[in-house]
Amino acid sequence: MSNRSITDITDVVWHDYLVLCKPKVVSLIVFTAVVGMFLATPGMVPWDVLLFGTVGIGLAASSAATINHVVDHRIDSIMARTKQRPLPEGKVSIVNAIIFAWFLGTISMGVLAFLVNPLTAGLTALSLIGYGFIYSMFLKRATPQNIVIGGAAGAAPPVLGWTAVTGTLDPNALLLFLIIFVWTPPHFWALAIYRRDDYAAADIPMLPVTHGTAFTRLHILLYTILLFIVTLLPYLVGMSGIFYLVGAILLGAGFLYYTILMYFNHEDKLAMQTFSYSIIYLMLLFAFLLVDHYIPMIANNL
Amino acid sequence: MNPNNLLTNILRLGCLLTLMVIVLGAYVRLSDAGLGCPDWPGCYGKLIVPEGSSSQIEEINLVYPERPFEKDKAWKEMLHRYLASVLGFLVLTLTFLSWFKKQFSNIRFFSGILLALVIFQGILGMWTVTLLLKPIIVMLHLLGGLTILSLFYWKLLREQSMNGVFVSAGNNKLLPLVVMGLIVLFCQISLGGWTSSNYAALACPDFPTCQGKWWPKMNFFEGFVLWRELGVDYEGGTLDSAARTAIHVAHRIGSVIAGGIIAYIGLRCTLSNHKHLKMTGIIVLILLITQILLGISNVKFNLPLSIAVAHNGVAALLLLSLVTLLHHCKCDSN
Repeated sequence: MSNRSITDITDVVWHDYLVLCKPKVVSLIVFTAVVGMFLATPGMVPWDVLLFGTVGIGLAASSAATINHVVDHRIDSIMARTKQRPLPEGKVSIVNAIIFAWFLGTISMGVLAFLVNPLTAGLTALSLIGYGFIYSMFLKRATPQNIVIGGAAGAAPPVLGWTAVTGTLDPNALLLFLIIFVWTPPHFWALAIYRRDDYAAADIPMLPVTHGTAFTRLHILLYTILLFIVTLLPYLVGMSGIFYLVGAILLGAGFLYYTILMYFNHEDKLAMQTFSYSIIYLMLLFAFLLVDHYIPMIANNL
Repeated sequence: MNPNNLLTNILRLGCLLTLMVIVLGAYVRLSDAGLGCPDWPGCYGKLIVPEGSSSQIEEINLVYPERPFEKDKAWKEMLHRYLASVLGFLVLTLTFLSWFKKQFSNIRFFSGILLALVIFQGILGMWTVTLLLKPIIVMLHLLGGLTILSLFYWKLLREQSMNGVFVSAGNNKLLPLVVMGLIVLFCQISLGGWTSSNYAALACPDFPTCQGKWWPKMNFFEGFVLWRELGVDYEGGTLDSAARTAIHVAHRIGSVIAGGIIAYIGLRCTLSNHKHLKMTGIIVLILLITQILLGISNVKFNLPLSIAVAHNGVAALLLLSLVTLLHHCKCDSN
């Protein structure tokens, strides 16, 4: 009879698994999804959709993040920034990470399909595959347009939140999709400029690596102008009011200010500041959408 | 044959036979053949199901006017009884061996308990018929069967472990967790048995809500009266809608609690680096997901016989997968 003591190896270190989920990215995703839910209905989101939709989308995003860790574990071990992630460090085995991703994905699909609606489950599955497999495995290494195309997966969450409530694909939901879709390239390229040496070392064809930083800066500026116009659309189609419009213009002006500065000033520090600003920009823009949406309701109650 | 191998084979046969008796029992119950024979131990007074010639049927229906003879239901019921009798003889043989063969003397306690349980199961089986499907009896009959199955399987794992076939991981750190999993699973299976024996499986025709609400009209006091009067025919259920809904919803709530705990246990074992724990953990997770999907399907597809029987069978397998984990956790010193 085996008398081997294995007390140490069954200690699952949940913290490492939490890192695999990329909690910061997931919370931004969940936030945009929740805003999508609220924008989909004039009143209060039903509590079950809010709860199960958020859990389902959050778990799917965590699953995709874990798959991304698995796919990138070799690259991660090359880049200084990612060397100490759980997989390159060997704290979590590849097999276990795959099992973990499967587990999260299965629960997510079950929750969304049975407790929310099948359309949301299907679209979430598509986004998960789009980010976890198509982007991480192929696009990222195939073309400098990787994040432009891959941005579609990252832009999905507000649509998912929306369909969780309505069960249908609404044109206004696609507007939210468009905003994040256009926001992704300037957001990501700012980071890529800052980290271009890392990406070059790992042989990933990011735009600053393949076409140089000057070209990238121009693209960041052009995309930000495009983003400025796109963010006016919710007002123009009547989905949002004047409160949102003012917010979008102010936030957009801030973003433009950073990217114009970046265009002339080639300091890496500025690229990083632009990247940080882009995150705050998106959070605030969605916060404006949310508050603006409920202003009529609040006004009526006064 | 090596006596250890003989014992292992008997135990294997016992596991298989018990699982068959359990699933067949569920089939009999779910196809409403539990009263296929209104008497016990014979069927309409015979040891073998009557041929069913028209004169014979007339004669039978004169003696049992309240329960006209239906040949297929009678056969289902009797098949369950025959198979259970074979199991009874197997356990009896095991008991004899343990007392009269020296090399089996270490299983006297085990086989004694098993024999007592099998006899009790026989009595419960009789009461199931004579007390006209009284819910508490039906539920206990199910739990008794699962206990016998678990014991057979537990002994088999221990025996194989001694022979080095199926080695225990000897991890007692997970022990409290697995014991808790077994307890909640047992409670959840009891609730499932209570749902079935009170014909509450269709009390909620929708999922995830029940009658369109998250908290429909329910009467938990009425639903969980364990002992009711004798002489009532319980076939088809006697409770009102609010009581049945309470039972059904209790089983759903139970599935969230038990499902959550078992999923955690399964995931934890799956993510361990020990080969056996990992395998068993994966099996636990697969069975758990299957079981939940079957439960949902029962509601969505209006309780088809095949899915209802499978829900019973997978419950038994899930129990065995947790028993396997218990085996891995038990670190004894020989």
